[in-house]
Formats: sequence, C-alpha cells, structure tokens
Amino acid sequence: MELFKPEFGLVFWMFLAFVCLYFILAKWAWPFIIKSMDERATLIDEGVAYAQEAKSKLDNAKAEADALVADARKQQADILRDAAKMKTEIIEQAKAEAAVEAKKVTDAAQVSIEQSRKESEHQLRQDVGAYALQIAEQVIRKNMKDDNAQRDLVKKLLNEVESNN
Amino acid sequence: MVILALMAWGYAQSMQHHGHETKVNPKETIFEHLGDTYGWEVPFSHTKKIPLPIIAFAQGGKLHCFMSSRVTGGETYQDGDATFMIPHEGDYKGKLVQVLDDGTQYRPWDFSITKNALGIFIAAVLVILMAMSLRKWYKREGMKGPRGVKGMLELVIEFVYTDTIKPIMGKEAPKYGPYLLTAFFFILTMNLLGLIVIFPGGANLTGNLAVTMVLALATFLITNLTGTKHYWKDIFWPDVPIALKCPVPMMPLIEFLGILTKPLALMVRLFANMLGGHMVVIVLILLIMVFAQMFGTAVGAGTAVISVALSLFMLVLDTLISFIQAFVFTLLSTIFISMAHIHEEPKAVTE
Repeated sequence: MELFKPEFGLVFWMFLAFVCLYFILAKWAWPFIIKSMDERATLIDEGVAYAQEAKSKLDNAKAEADALVADARKQQADILRDAAKMKTEIIEQAKAEAAVEAKKVTDAAQVSIEQSRKESEHQLRQDVGAYALQIAEQVIRKNMKDDNAQRDLVKKLLNEVESNN
Repeated sequence: MVILALMAWGYAQSMQHHGHETKVNPKETIFEHLGDTYGWEVPFSHTKKIPLPIIAFAQGGKLHCFMSSRVTGGETYQDGDATFMIPHEGDYKGKLVQVLDDGTQYRPWDFSITKNALGIFIAAVLVILMAMSLRKWYKREGMKGPRGVKGMLELVIEFVYTDTIKPIMGKEAPKYGPYLLTAFFFILTMNLLGLIVIFPGGANLTGNLAVTMVLALATFLITNLTGTKHYWKDIFWPDVPIALKCPVPMMPLIEFLGILTKPLALMVRLFANMLGGHMVVIVLILLIMVFAQMFGTAVGAGTAVISVALSLFMLVLDTLISFIQAFVFTLLSTIFISMAHIHEEPKAVTE
C-alpha cells in the first residue's frame, strides 16, 4: 500500500526542512525566547518581593515618623521650658543689677544731699552771724547814743572782767 | 462548519456531474486524499490543480525539472530525451515514472516538490514566523507581556518547556530544549494545517510515514548518539541474573530491540493517530456520496446532515488530538533522551 511506504523524496525534503528549521530556531528563537521569559519571570518575582519590602518599609516608616514627631514635640517642650527658665533668670539678674545700681544712685544722692545740707547750714550760720552782727551793731549804735549808757556799759564790762579774774 | 458544509455541497455537485459516468470508489478517494499528489487541488474544484515543480533524476542520472501540470492529467511528457508520466494503475500507481524506450516503467529518483513537500515548507515557514514574531516582541517590548497570539504561543512554550521538559531533563534542558520545542511546534503546525481542508492546509503531513519517520529518526539519533556509557551498559550488560544474559543474550537482545521499538512507536503513533482522524472524516463525508448512489439523492441529503455533524465533531476532536499527539511526541522524546543520559549512581546509595 502506497500510504505505508515512505517516499524517499519526501523523506529528503522533510529531513532538509526539519534540520533547517531546527538550526534557525535553535540559533535565533528558542534560547532568546526562553531567556526572555525567564528574565521576565525573575523580574516579576523580584518586583513582588520589592513591593512587599517597600510596603513593610512604608509601614515602618509611619511608625518611625510618629516616633520622630513625638521626639520633636518633646524637644520642643524642653526648649520652651529652658527658654522660660532662662527668661526668669535674666529678669532676676537684671532686677538684681538694677537694685545695685539704684542703691548706688541713692547713696550718691544722699551724700550730695548731706553735703549740700552742710553747705547750706554753713551758709545759714554765716548769714545768721552776719545778720546778728548787723542787728547787734544797730542795737549798740542806738543804745550808745548817750555817754551814760556807754559808761554804764564800760563799767559793767569791767565788772565782768574783774569777776572773771 | 461553513467549510464543511461547502465541502459536502461541492462533493454533491461533482457527484451529480460524474455520477452517471463514474461510480464512487471510496477506497480510491480515501487514498487519494490521504496520500501525496504532484499538484495541489484548487479549493472546491476537483479537477483544477495548482502545478508544483517536479524534480527527478531520470535513468542515467540526468536531472529533469518541469511543472506537474504537464503530467497530472494523465498525459505523457517528453522532457529532453526522457518521457515521463503518472500511471493510474500498476506498481507505480499515482507516482511519477519514466517510460523507457521498450515501454517499461522506471521509477526515477524523485525529489519533486509534491503537495506534502510544499506543505512541510509552509509549516516550517509558519513556525519560523511565529517564533520570530515572539522574538521580535521581546526585542522591542522587553519585559512587557505579549498579547494575543504571541501570548498564547508563550503559554504553550511555558507549558512544553518550563512545565514538561525542564522537570524531566533538569540541567540538560537548555541543551535539548530547542530540538524538542522545534519538534513540538513543527508537529503541531503540521497537524493543524492538515485539518484545514483548503489550499495552505489540507496536506496529510503527519499522517504520512515519511514525515513521522524523519521526526522519529531525529529523536532516535539524538538518543543514541548522546547516550552515556551507563546507558549502553544497561543495554548490553543489564543488572539481571547472569543466566539471563550469559549463554544466551536474552536480556541484551530485548534491550537492543527496545532501542528500535522506541522510535518506531513514536513514528507509528503519530502517523496512525493523524491518519485515523483524517480517514474517519473522509469516510463520513464519503458516506453521503455512497448512500446517494445507493438509495438516491434524498437519502444522501439526509445522511449529509448526520455526516457533517459527525465530521465536525471529529474535526474538533482532531484539533485536540493534534495538540495531544504533538505533546506526546515531545514528551516521549524528552523521556527517551533523558533516559539515555543516566549516569552511574553513586555507590553509597546502592550499597
């Protein structure tokens, strides 16, 4: 039967076609296709792993950010507290310095007041002395207008000198 | 289904034309359709044929090339000093012969591009185009997943290579993978082309022993040429009681026959499966004509409905078989090749 007898010509062409096909595909197609498929599979696997890692990192990042914010808040409070403390210190210091300065000023003022009081006292004494002398002169002049009075006075003065001695 | 209906209608038409002159000869028709021819039928016409080149070395070794249209009508053709014809009967029925001076027929060395040879080339070109389109996609699109047919192609490659060849062959997969993938896609394309009834398809390629023989031979050669020392030792000095191999080499003989039966099984399995599928479809269609001739056109028309439905079912089944047989061939080749690559087991394990 013809069907069961392989025809030599056909065997030849089939062999030729198959061998050519094999060399063409084995050189240019299959290795490249399989390599690309493997590469893509690896890429996808890596992508999934990367995404998972990124997700966990993101979750961690949130916690980290929260911690960071809390830390910052604490630092802020510390700084504010320090600032308040420093403020009161400065005010206290300024107050103390001001008190010292004020004391100095009042002391100086007291000294000058004392001085001017002494001066004015001295002046007053001199003035009072001068006035008294003037008044005395006026009184004496008026009293010594007659000779009797002068004599009486001399007498009296002499008496006084005598009693003293 | 449309194609099938048209085919049945075409048959009915041609039968009405020739019905009175020639009787339906089912055997002739079946073997004409399953066998190889020198021209390719134009769709829906039983008489017109696409001429194909005939290449033959006549007696004395002289090369003759001419178009098949010169001889397919039954004529004799004088090419140079040789006369050629295709006899309708005798030992060389349907084959190109050289008519010698004394009137005897001589079968020349025939390298004609017959219907099947052209079908093989078409299948090979299709496989190359498919593989190259996928390659081009990867070149251009890089890591993007291919769409459409290329995606399907990739799925099949994944199925055959990653899920079948790799687990069996292990680290040898990249070495033999290209051969196995080529065989798979070549067989699959030829199988599917055989199911298409009109021009680019329609050649019964994998249902032809010459084709499956070459495929099986390739696996046979790879298996035995790359076989390891241990593989050959297992064949000629297997691990069986001495009595079975010393005076009469019974086991070695069986093992040696095994070498031959493996490719033979590959060859016949693919051939028989595809031939059977095609034959059933043709027989079902022929039933229309046979019944029409025996009981009249009305019965033939009634049979046509059933026959077309059944052939449709068969063709759907054949589509599945096309894939399964291509896969089975690849799977068995993979197993045969990997079995020839066994290495001596480590002593520690055996003791």
